Amino acid sequence: MQWLTDPFQAEFMQRAFLAAIIIGAVAPVVGTWVVLRRMANLGDAMSHGTLAGVGLAYAAGVNVLFGAMGAGLVIAALLVLFSSNRRLGQETVIAVLGTACFAIGVVVISRLDTGVELTHFLFGRVLTVTWGDIWLNLGLGGGAVLVVFALFGELRLATFDHVQAEQVGVRVELVQAVLVVLLAVVVVISLRTVGTVMSVTMLVTPAATSRLFARTLRQMTLWGMCLGVSEAVFGLMLSYHLDSAPGATIGLVAAAVFAIVFAATLPRRMPHHHRPLD
Amino acid sequence: MTHRLADPPHDHGNVHSLLDVVGLGVRYGTTEALRDVSFSVGRGELIGVIGPNGAGKSTMFKAICGLVNHTGVVEVNGVHCHGHTERMDIAYIPQRNDSDLHFPITVGELVLAGRRRFRRWWNRPTSDDRAVAAQCLKKVFLEGADDRALSELSGGQLQRAYLARALAQQASVVLLDEALSGVDQPTTLELLEVFRSLTTEGTSLLVATHDLALARRRFDRCLAVNGTLRGDGPPDQVLSVGLLETVFGSGASDAVAD
Repeated sequence: MQWLTDPFQAEFMQRAFLAAIIIGAVAPVVGTWVVLRRMANLGDAMSHGTLAGVGLAYAAGVNVLFGAMGAGLVIAALLVLFSSNRRLGQETVIAVLGTACFAIGVVVISRLDTGVELTHFLFGRVLTVTWGDIWLNLGLGGGAVLVVFALFGELRLATFDHVQAEQVGVRVELVQAVLVVLLAVVVVISLRTVGTVMSVTMLVTPAATSRLFARTLRQMTLWGMCLGVSEAVFGLMLSYHLDSAPGATIGLVAAAVFAIVFAATLPRRMPHHHRPLD
Repeated sequence: MTHRLADPPHDHGNVHSLLDVVGLGVRYGTTEALRDVSFSVGRGELIGVIGPNGAGKSTMFKAICGLVNHTGVVEVNGVHCHGHTERMDIAYIPQRNDSDLHFPITVGELVLAGRRRFRRWWNRPTSDDRAVAAQCLKKVFLEGADDRALSELSGGQLQRAYLARALAQQASVVLLDEALSGVDQPTTLELLEVFRSLTTEGTSLLVATHDLALARRRFDRCLAVNGTLRGDGPPDQVLSVGLLETVFGSGASDAVAD
């Protein structure tokens, strides 16, 4: 029992748990659509690319969360601009943009003389989360969840069959743009908790895990949230006892849960279970 | 050039037409995929659209729906179509392999998607919408399948679920791309029965198919497409040896004879 309660004693740990719960609940709500729309590589590029904004904001003495948000939006805008090039696939454009912005971030941070370590941003420093960060994350995360629930029907139509969605009046490109902005929001609120690199883990892994067994979208979203919160809390507890990096430990717990669920649901996903005979 | 073989069974080119296509053309870069296609569709017609792979059948459907840029005019119920809004009376059911069949969506949710055109994005489906969706499922003989996941449906059931969505959309013209491909004989007959029951209620269906023998026996009218409209009229005449060889090349007439 003490093993469970010990980590909650210090106030900085309580703040860390709150930050982890927020990201654990919010990321899979957006992540559900990232998984269904097969946009995981965009999430990856976005999570790495925001380091450019973080580095520049840090150098300018501005809150790094604003820098990350700005970088996320710039990446989204550039992606729309370059994706119209038919010679390059979208994956290629995403990779080029993501790595370029990541490189900018690394160069800027490595040139700073403030003693700040690159790894703080890459893997987060959940133990240094302030009450200000928590309120900001709660506001941004709560907003993201509300937007997803308000647009649930539109997201479903635009994701399942964008052709029919356009035919019945859904503004498919606007829905896509909103989702990219939400992706940037998730990366921003992940920054202190799990870091830019690991944010894609919270975005994709719990949602991908619930995708393995959920029958409906609501189930997938709600299970994703439950898994995300549990994995974040348990991962943080484990990191407290093992004295390991919190972000990476949370990521490992999420990956372990995915592996277990994947193995457990394997027989259900065998080809003969997909379609009955006509 | 288009071979206008005989007057089709319905009244076209006037106020009674559901769909009028005039001089439709599509270019993909420097490639001309479709040129100068003109035809009209009346109420309750079952039309087979035939042509070899790459002939432009899917392109023609997409252009009619406004999904690709095109030249020419598309009129639905006498209204000139500029954007998507005027084309909501047309439903397009793409080839089956274009959809993610494992998407977590139930049959009921799929059919309700057709009702989206009647409400704003922030409104949830009403009880009326649900009642219409249930009725549409009944019309395609999928009564009570609301809660089934799409991935649990057979090929024929899936096509019928898409048809129910088109009906819920209250589309007067439904364009089905390769709806009869990859399904067995009993399923084909079952789908044709559904097509026929829908046409008797006034919905018109254009079905792209490679099965020339089926087109001859089961459709009211055929459109032969290969880069442009090569023939339009009763199946017996469109599927004549001379015209088939123009559209498909030599040897095609054997497929009809079979």
